[in-house]
Amino acid sequence: MGKQLSIFVENKPGKINKITGILEKEKINLKAMTIADSGTFGIVKIITDNNRRAFDVLKKANFLVSFQNVVVVEIPDRVGAFHRVAKILEDEKINIEDAYGFIMEEGQKAALILKVPEPERVEKVLKRRGYKLIENF
Amino acid sequence: MFFQPDKENISTDKLKAIQEENLIRTIELAGRSPYYRKLFKQYGLKPDIRDIKDIEKFPFTTKEDLRKSYPAGMVAVPFEKLVRMHASSGTTGKSTLVFHTKNDIENWATLVARGLYAAGVRSTDIFQNMMSYGLFTGGLGLHYGAEKLGALVIPAGSGNTQKQIELLLDLRTTVIHITPSYLFYLGHVIEEEEKISLSKFSLRIAIVGAEPHSEETRRKLEKIFRIKVFNCYGLSEMNGPGVAFECEYQNGLHLWEDHYYAEIIDPETGKVLPEGREGELVLTTLQREGMPVIRYRTRDITKFIKGRCPCGRTHRKIARIKGRTDDMFIVKGVNIFPSQIEAVLMQIPEVDKNYRIIIDRYEGLDNLTVEVEVKKGFFDGELRHLKAIQDKLIDTLKDNILVTPVVKLVEPGSLPSSTGKAQRVIDKRRL
Repeated sequence: MGKQLSIFVENKPGKINKITGILEKEKINLKAMTIADSGTFGIVKIITDNNRRAFDVLKKANFLVSFQNVVVVEIPDRVGAFHRVAKILEDEKINIEDAYGFIMEEGQKAALILKVPEPERVEKVLKRRGYKLIENF
Repeated sequence: MFFQPDKENISTDKLKAIQEENLIRTIELAGRSPYYRKLFKQYGLKPDIRDIKDIEKFPFTTKEDLRKSYPAGMVAVPFEKLVRMHASSGTTGKSTLVFHTKNDIENWATLVARGLYAAGVRSTDIFQNMMSYGLFTGGLGLHYGAEKLGALVIPAGSGNTQKQIELLLDLRTTVIHITPSYLFYLGHVIEEEEKISLSKFSLRIAIVGAEPHSEETRRKLEKIFRIKVFNCYGLSEMNGPGVAFECEYQNGLHLWEDHYYAEIIDPETGKVLPEGREGELVLTTLQREGMPVIRYRTRDITKFIKGRCPCGRTHRKIARIKGRTDDMFIVKGVNIFPSQIEAVLMQIPEVDKNYRIIIDRYEGLDNLTVEVEVKKGFFDGELRHLKAIQDKLIDTLKDNILVTPVVKLVEPGSLPSSTGKAQRVIDKRRL
């Protein structure tokens, strides 16, 4: 099962900077980041090359942080690749709550991160279709 | 079960007679102090009290009057009769001093002992006094009262939490006197940092005072420690703690009416309100020799609780202090006390007890913002869960204060801590 880190942040200048600063200092590589906000506060979701350590150092810095299960699937870096995954999930009547991604190798492969209600089932479905799942970087 | 049976369940008629008699003596005595001598002369006032209600002819004494008569303008006896001095915390401006004779100290200890006894403290108890000693009245006031009762008193003073825990365990302390915020902190240190089970302690009673707090705070503390928590009221101008004390029924505080005459007034007009109405508490010392004070405006908001208390004490009860006239703020024409907001936060487990209130005005409209910290254990990374907490806070606050606030969830530890006198209300309006 893939993991993402969710961090509670107040919506004000300098908050993201503080998180990225801590990760840099600890030599943790930030792979992807996305933000969901709700006016005065929001949640920053990140994936790093060492989620466990990222969790510990952020917690130590007094951030509210928690792990969430996500599906991280490797897809080819080309036109229509995400669409193919989305189509499979539609056929299985699986709702995507949140999705983001990043390029792993230009023109070769990308990682797609999916927040879904039943991650175990989605992993099974994608595996069956020949997709490679990523648990850790 | 009373400390002073004849004085605590005295008949209402007798009590009134004692009050009238003592009020005359108090006014005569006060007239010997430079401050009141001048005041009485100016207004042509004499101690002709035929009914206790005649007190209303006398003007109020305010904190400012005390300040102006610094250091000893209200002292009514020769200095050699005085044995002790205390000072108010002086949060605003110069502190005010209060002087006591030997009898005053004796009476004060007796009133505290009455209160401790009403809360269930006995001579067999080990009493750890965790309030600061010194100019502040909280430490010495309860110290003398508990000694008078015959308990074993440990004068621990405030702070030094590790030492406090050691004493609590080694001496099997059964009763503590502490501020509510320090009691919270103590529980946190014992359970979270020291990882000691609270069942290892012999505590059964906590007397809390010096900070206005809500009923919810009390219940929460009782639940954490599995003890009884009793509220104690007092102010340095009226000796200190021991003016009013809760009995075993924990429903209001018996105010010792043979030593204090209490009125509830409308803080705007100064008119005495009918019994049961909420307003500012005004107190007159009835037996104090060193420094009698007449109609002192406490700025504390409370009301008399009507009816007899099942405990049998005839001294009337006042409700838990709701706030201070100077804490109150008005938003959209509604009077709000920080204590009301605190009470709501106590009901919502997902947030911490620290908060900050910010009031501003935008295009002529008042805006009330409540900032509150999300509690660590409740964060699961879901934005919608945070939004649900926010909505619950908005709804519950609106039901209680009648104004719809903006609720801002903030990171843990980002608001000023609950220990000490943190500024909780920030009014940015230019009125």
